[in-house]
Amino acid sequence: MYNFIMLLNNRLIIIYLFFNQLIMFYRLLADYYLWVLNTISFGNGKLFALSPLQPENLVYPTQLPRLLPAPSLSHRCDRSSSSADRLLSHSYHVIPFPVSHQEFRPLPLCHPPVLSACHPTTLNNNVPYNPRSSVFQVQYFRTSVAYRDEVITVKTPAFAESVTEGDVRWEKAVGDSVSEDEVVCEIETDKTSVQVPSPAAGVIEELLVPDGGKVEGGTPLFKLKKGAGAAKAPESPKAAAAPSPPSAAPTPPPPPSTVEPIPTTMPPVPPVPAHAMDTKPVSAIKPTAAPAAPAAHAEGGAKAARTESRVKMNRMRLRIAQRLKEAQNTCAMLTTFNEVDMSNISEMRKAYKDAFLKKHNIKLGFMSAFVKAAAYALVDQPAVNAVIDDTTKEIVYRDYVDISVAVATPKGLVVPVIRNVEEMNFTDIEKAINLLGEKARKNELAVEDMDGGTFTISNGGVFGSLFGTPIINPPQSAILGMHGIFDRPVAVGGKVEIRPMMYVALTYDHRLIDGREAVTFLRKIKSVVEDPRVLLLDM
Amino acid sequence: MLSHLRGTFCVLSAGVQRAWSSSSCLFMDPSSPGLVLQSQSTDVFQNLALEDWIDAHVDLQQRSVLLLWRNRPTVVIGRHQNPWAECNLPAMRSAQVPVARRRSGGGTVYHDLGNLNLTFFASKKAYDRRRNLKVVTDALRRVRPQLDIQATDRLDILLNGHYKISGTASRLSRKSSYHHCTLLHSADRSAIAVLLRPSCPGIRSNATPSIPSPVANLSDHAPSLQWEELLEAVVQQYSSEFGLTSSSQCVDPADEALFPGVGSMEAELRSWEWTFGKTPKFSVETQLELRDERPAARCSAQLQLEVKNGRVESCRVEVPATWLPERLSASLAQALLGERFCPHRAAAALSALLRCESGPLHSRLHNLCDVLVAAMG
Repeated sequence: MYNFIMLLNNRLIIIYLFFNQLIMFYRLLADYYLWVLNTISFGNGKLFALSPLQPENLVYPTQLPRLLPAPSLSHRCDRSSSSADRLLSHSYHVIPFPVSHQEFRPLPLCHPPVLSACHPTTLNNNVPYNPRSSVFQVQYFRTSVAYRDEVITVKTPAFAESVTEGDVRWEKAVGDSVSEDEVVCEIETDKTSVQVPSPAAGVIEELLVPDGGKVEGGTPLFKLKKGAGAAKAPESPKAAAAPSPPSAAPTPPPPPSTVEPIPTTMPPVPPVPAHAMDTKPVSAIKPTAAPAAPAAHAEGGAKAARTESRVKMNRMRLRIAQRLKEAQNTCAMLTTFNEVDMSNISEMRKAYKDAFLKKHNIKLGFMSAFVKAAAYALVDQPAVNAVIDDTTKEIVYRDYVDISVAVATPKGLVVPVIRNVEEMNFTDIEKAINLLGEKARKNELAVEDMDGGTFTISNGGVFGSLFGTPIINPPQSAILGMHGIFDRPVAVGGKVEIRPMMYVALTYDHRLIDGREAVTFLRKIKSVVEDPRVLLLDM
Repeated sequence: MLSHLRGTFCVLSAGVQRAWSSSSCLFMDPSSPGLVLQSQSTDVFQNLALEDWIDAHVDLQQRSVLLLWRNRPTVVIGRHQNPWAECNLPAMRSAQVPVARRRSGGGTVYHDLGNLNLTFFASKKAYDRRRNLKVVTDALRRVRPQLDIQATDRLDILLNGHYKISGTASRLSRKSSYHHCTLLHSADRSAIAVLLRPSCPGIRSNATPSIPSPVANLSDHAPSLQWEELLEAVVQQYSSEFGLTSSSQCVDPADEALFPGVGSMEAELRSWEWTFGKTPKFSVETQLELRDERPAARCSAQLQLEVKNGRVESCRVEVPATWLPERLSASLAQALLGERFCPHRAAAALSALLRCESGPLHSRLHNLCDVLVAAMG
């Protein structure tokens, strides 16, 4: 009898336990059902963010949460968070949804069901919401059906001190997205400038007052469409690639919206810029960084965006491009080369540079030698100093030598001119170059400084160029290109010696200048620079 | 005398100067309801940046701040004004006088070392410009009771009912506000007459205009009033009006440790984009007188420019076709589009055009370019 009762008790216990598990299982189902209702219900349209720290990187579990098997009793004391963690760690696919987290604060937040069996006796709604609890790793986002199209009209704020009206000056334009508290316009009233901030984040839809128009307190100013710029924010792909969200959410993959189809053709090779565009500054001027394409797209969001950026061409660049192409089309351009041994002139410079600096207060460079050499050679070969007048079909010979020195400035290439170089000596030339360099740097070059010129010199050596073909600067007939000075082994007097050598290039218009004249011209420059005594002796 | 003034600018007759290592100890001292600061710098951009910094970073709900500063010769235009219409930029360039745009509204003023600037910072609720001006007028009346000093409805201070010695401007931000005014002690009035006139003729804009008024220096009517005395009087009057106990402190606006972020504010105020690029849209309509040397001939042309954000948005040059061919005047107009409204930029753009022409057309084109560039100030 006793044995029978014991057996019955055991079975009852087992049955009791079984039903307990069943009830827990049904409770779990009920929880899940409620959770699903909460998350996908359209009646409310609300999903709640529990982790306000990273509203941009919200996890949307794309897999159904797995129902956990009934845990054994030994797991009863496990932390529920661990199972939630395990659950969530399976959802790898993240679609970022940029929503302002500030909208979530005033809403009553519902405790989502805990998907584990370790809270068998608690009902969902009784557990107080605790945002800091590690249980709540799930982040929700809002499908703001109700808020999507809300447009608000912002009125002029009341003016202080009995002022009646003011002028509106717009800071933002139609279509700009603004964040909360960002200044949209300023109202000027009686020597006071009042800022009008945006009451919420959104996109400006319409400006109701023209710029400079008069408004009074309470006049409608502009219409703002709320929505945190969700539709238009170009920074959402960047924000997605921004610092990864904390805690359990895995690193988001690149947002699918900006994935481009795999290109099938090679991107076009960028055209090699003409030599004159790359010309280097005069010795006195430091080279300034070229206005590069916006670097913002190159960095940041490393794996994400492969975007293009379009920058409108600078007017100056457009015109120079046009002129250069015209020059190329009219002139019969070709280039002749030579090399110059710079050892003598370097030695002269080394010997005299301190004394020169002390006496004239400017540095002695190489440009003066080349400019003077060019002037000397131009006087000797007047054809190189001449120009063809296409309209009258005449050759214009000039007895003055104005040398243009190509200078790179932040706004493009400018070519200031040194006038009457044939009468100057090295010092005068250095002074003139210095003065022009100062003016160019301060953006003070006048029209007279840049007009005219019979010959151009461009220095590629500052950037380390070895060899190259300059392009003629219209309406001239020739251009001298200087390149970098590099030590090379050369044959001198039957022996090999290391000398600092520079390649020089002369591009000329063959319609006017013959090969013999061009080569003689270049050789003359070479002889003057290699031995400045040639100038004294007029050889 | 001015260098002497500059040297002694920060010397106070009373009070202890403490070296502040961080802005928190400067501004978070809860004991006093206010603070008086004197700027050590005479650079207008640094001082304006300091004003912006205090407006943005100091909690003005419980306390107010008075900032005293002065600048080397500068022209300061209001937030929504047109620099080309307000001041003579070529004359300023040759006299090395910079132009600065402040963030508060109002008209154009000429600052130099004989002009004291006072900025009253307060919360939006405590914004009361008449009270601030009362501080200044009471201080002046206390030191020189014989002077007839009155504050007007337009918040100017007039001497003898006729000469303006102080002008006002202010700015209301989201939570704070500031009200600044000038006070002419011994400024150079001839410079005012020369520099505060339009740079180029024919400007039409809806920017805030300046209202010129006859000005006078305090030192002309009260020659014994020294700079330090004036400063002390103002500081004392402010302290008694607002109930302060501590004396004024000297600050260096370029100190990043004390004012973190002030360097970038200064850089923004110096930039071309702020000073000229924030000009409201305006148009220039003028007649250009052209002449040719050989043969001696002359003609006149019409110039119409629309400038937006400081850049030429549209340009039309109407030159009689007998003077220059249509294509040249059209390409000239085209050359200026998109460039800054600045004679140097225009010169650079036009010289590229000039390089293509030669002969008689060249000299006429050159003359037209010169006149055009001159018309841009």
